Amino acid sequence: MISQSELVDTIEALDAQALQRWVDLGWVLPRNDTGSLHFDPADVARVRLICELHYELRIDEDSMSTVLSLMDQLYTTRRALGALSSAIAAEPTDVQCRIRASLEQKL
Amino acid sequence: MADPYQVLGVARDAKPDDIRSAFRGLAKKNHPDLHPGDKAAEARFKDIAAAYAIVGDEAKRALFDQGKIDATGADIHQPPPRDSYRQHAEAGPGFKYDRPWEGGTMGGGPGGIDEDLFAELFGRRANANRRGGDVNYTLAVPFVDAINGAKKRVVMTDGKALDLTIPPGLKDGQTLRLRGQGHPGVKEGQAGDILVEIRVEPHPVFRRDGNDIASTLPITLGEALAGAKVPVETISGTVNLSIPKASNTGAKLRLRGKGAPHKGGTGDHVVELKVVLPTLPDDAFVQSIVDWEQKHPYDPRIGQGAKS
Repeated sequence: MISQSELVDTIEALDAQALQRWVDLGWVLPRNDTGSLHFDPADVARVRLICELHYELRIDEDSMSTVLSLMDQLYTTRRALGALSSAIAAEPTDVQCRIRASLEQKL
Repeated sequence: MADPYQVLGVARDAKPDDIRSAFRGLAKKNHPDLHPGDKAAEARFKDIAAAYAIVGDEAKRALFDQGKIDATGADIHQPPPRDSYRQHAEAGPGFKYDRPWEGGTMGGGPGGIDEDLFAELFGRRANANRRGGDVNYTLAVPFVDAINGAKKRVVMTDGKALDLTIPPGLKDGQTLRLRGQGHPGVKEGQAGDILVEIRVEPHPVFRRDGNDIASTLPITLGEALAGAKVPVETISGTVNLSIPKASNTGAKLRLRGKGAPHKGGTGDHVVELKVVLPTLPDDAFVQSIVDWEQKHPYDPRIGQGAKS
């Protein structure tokens, strides 16, 4: 966990005002302890990603909300599919074969 | 390592702004956090980032152009290894940025399982509004009714009678959908539909060929040779068909507008002629034909020989 100012120091492109705005917009969800924010490693990676998308790839604020929302949905779906596929991997081989055959037919 | 200018698709004398926008375009298309699991995009992104690290920086670009560093970026520091967001997003169970699907806000709860996606598997949403199931029927329809349209009363398995309108021109295998007449929905869910698949019964004379109707018309030898007017049954009654002189078996005559109705109009009735010899012709008749043929030989099998 690092603080807001530590995070701003860590990432060159980032300033405190932008970070606050992103938190206000709900793009980043740090832990809020009576006004002081604490960022875990996932938050830091997410802020770094938003910096890259915003400052380097010039994705503006309006588009960013859509991009992040789609990205979150994509990762959630991937996590769900990952969980499903490890559940299937724990099943007997014949069950796995039937599921694979059914998937090949439907996809 | 490829030439960084080529990687970015820019000329060697491209302006910094052009290089920057080329980089942005390529990076957006290949960014690994926006293309999770796409290994090719990830590899391309690495190349793009490495190329941009050289030609996107004026000092390094000058060194590269003078041949003082090579395209691998030797002698310059590589871009720092990326602490990918994906590593976090795809780590263990329960991620704070998971996106629940139904009305939640971002980060609204752990385990954003897609209820729709897994509904079948987990039998969830049992209490939710759900559309009622469809009911499937098959109905045999006489050929002529399928062409001309008809009203049919069908008694369903639950004893309910159903009045069906068969629209004109219906084809075998088409389905009629009666919206909202299937199984009732759950709670506020809509009722399902009744789907009636139409099986058109074969007709002893008429056949369906797209929007046309086909039939075979037997004619006498005299009618075939001399021509004649012959009554023909069509879907809309009897028509007198003019058979031209010297019509052979297999000749097709088209009766416009006597076929099946369809969106663009009405198909035709195609009559295929079939010359039928008289039963038990007398010897004098046969001999006269044989004599005639000797004087006027003809070969109906040209092009059909086993040798060709």
